[in-house]
Amino acid sequence: MIKIMLVCNAGMSTSMLMNKMVEAAKQQDIDAEIWAIPDAKLNEEWKKADVILLGPQVSYLKSRVETITAGSVPVEAIPMLDYGRMNGPGVLAMAIKMKK
Amino acid sequence: MKLLDQAVNVAQRIGGQVHLRSLRDAFATLMPFFVLAGLMVLLNNTLIKPEGILSGFISNATLTHWQQVGNSIVNGSLNFISVLIAGAIAYHLCQNKGYADPIAPVLLSIATVVIFMPESIHLTDVLTQKSVTVTGGISFASTGSAGMFVGILTGLVVTSLFIRLANAKRLQVNISGGAIPPAVVRSFNTLIPIMLTMIVFALFSFAVQSLSGMDVNTLIATLIQQPLKSVTTSLPGFLLITTVANLFFSVGIHQGVISGALLDPFLLNNMQENTLAFAQHQDIPNIICMAFKDTFGVMGGSGNTIALLIAIYLFSRKADYRDIAKLSTAPCLFNISEPIIFGLPIVFNPVLIIPFVLAPVISLTTAYYATAWGWINHVTVQIPWTTPPIISGFLATGGDWRASVLQALLIAITVCFYLPFLKFAERVAMAQAASSQG
Repeated sequence: MIKIMLVCNAGMSTSMLMNKMVEAAKQQDIDAEIWAIPDAKLNEEWKKADVILLGPQVSYLKSRVETITAGSVPVEAIPMLDYGRMNGPGVLAMAIKMKK
Repeated sequence: MKLLDQAVNVAQRIGGQVHLRSLRDAFATLMPFFVLAGLMVLLNNTLIKPEGILSGFISNATLTHWQQVGNSIVNGSLNFISVLIAGAIAYHLCQNKGYADPIAPVLLSIATVVIFMPESIHLTDVLTQKSVTVTGGISFASTGSAGMFVGILTGLVVTSLFIRLANAKRLQVNISGGAIPPAVVRSFNTLIPIMLTMIVFALFSFAVQSLSGMDVNTLIATLIQQPLKSVTTSLPGFLLITTVANLFFSVGIHQGVISGALLDPFLLNNMQENTLAFAQHQDIPNIICMAFKDTFGVMGGSGNTIALLIAIYLFSRKADYRDIAKLSTAPCLFNISEPIIFGLPIVFNPVLIIPFVLAPVISLTTAYYATAWGWINHVTVQIPWTTPPIISGFLATGGDWRASVLQALLIAITVCFYLPFLKFAERVAMAQAASSQG
């Protein structure tokens, strides 16, 4: 089981990527819980996550997330093209790699 | 990439600055209130308006009676905004500062807003139409949009002071002992900080009233809120901030960081004034307001990207451009433009950045003058920012179809504006692809 949290400004476009990732996880038989939040919810939600992925438009939040989590949860910005082209399998693979 | 580093740095500072963050978070929390109030005013002024569509079947008295529902909601949201925002900011500031127990600062902030209110208020007697001064009341004049800035400042300052006091070990009443429930210990720990905070602000309020003869509410509204508002929501100030915000987006940082912190409080303030004036059938005071920006400057997402999308559909011969357009269409209809901004990409694309930044300037300026010249109604209704273009114009202007026509026109104009840049960007991309293959 891997718990992936996606973060963006309003939680809108990441929720689309989330759908693509859930789809990809289903196809590959990966047990994953994936959800998207607006950055305002970071404080409340980060504890539930194994991996935090930031939309490229909020990549500047990385240092803040690292401070909040004290480095306990891996965090990375999603590459722009993968994000824009909604590359669900690619981002899922990235998240799984980050957990290890 | 020195420039980028600097942009990221600025975004990090603004986006991470705890007070500005809390302000944005509080507005996000309150947005449903604004939207509902807008819809209620819209409903009261269209469907259940006396002498309106339904008046053939239902008597005017009944319709007026029904308007109570909407009016009460407006009272509880727009007319009570200074209190709501104070509490919301206190809560989010606690969250962002990592203070675990926000209830005391939330209540303190609300209490302080009331502390700052004038002791007596001026009202108009309905029967005699005479102005009377009464005590023992609170008026919407201080809880409504004029007091919004007070609410913001109160939430920020009160919470900061309280957290500081609450963390001071010396001020904690020590009643430790095994049998005492932790909640009781906690309430004793905050006892002195709560009382001190209240007293400090009550004394401050008293001092301001005694020295200036004005209550804090009026003082802040006239000395801080009004001047800042007229700078940020004048056409040049507004265009400057939106342009800077979109420039940020063109290096990949969400424009909400800038406009959310610098612009939104004033745009929302203008929005409330417009909505209330619309509800009371008065002249609409502002052209530029929150929904004005969303309706004419964010069609299909930041940069009016719906125009770029249409330009690609009509004129692009590049397969991957067309693919990304297809992928982006559905979100773009709801003003979500990240797929096309990052997928095409527009970000770091020196050619496409130009229309991305300038298209909103064109459309906002045109819409501004169209409103000023009376070609379309003022924007008076706060709609969700995800409302699709064309529909959004109709709703935001309280049901003026001409605003929808203007939106369509603006989209057509910005399609033409995007087009040469799109063609050029394609040529560059193809040349790059060819040279990397060869």
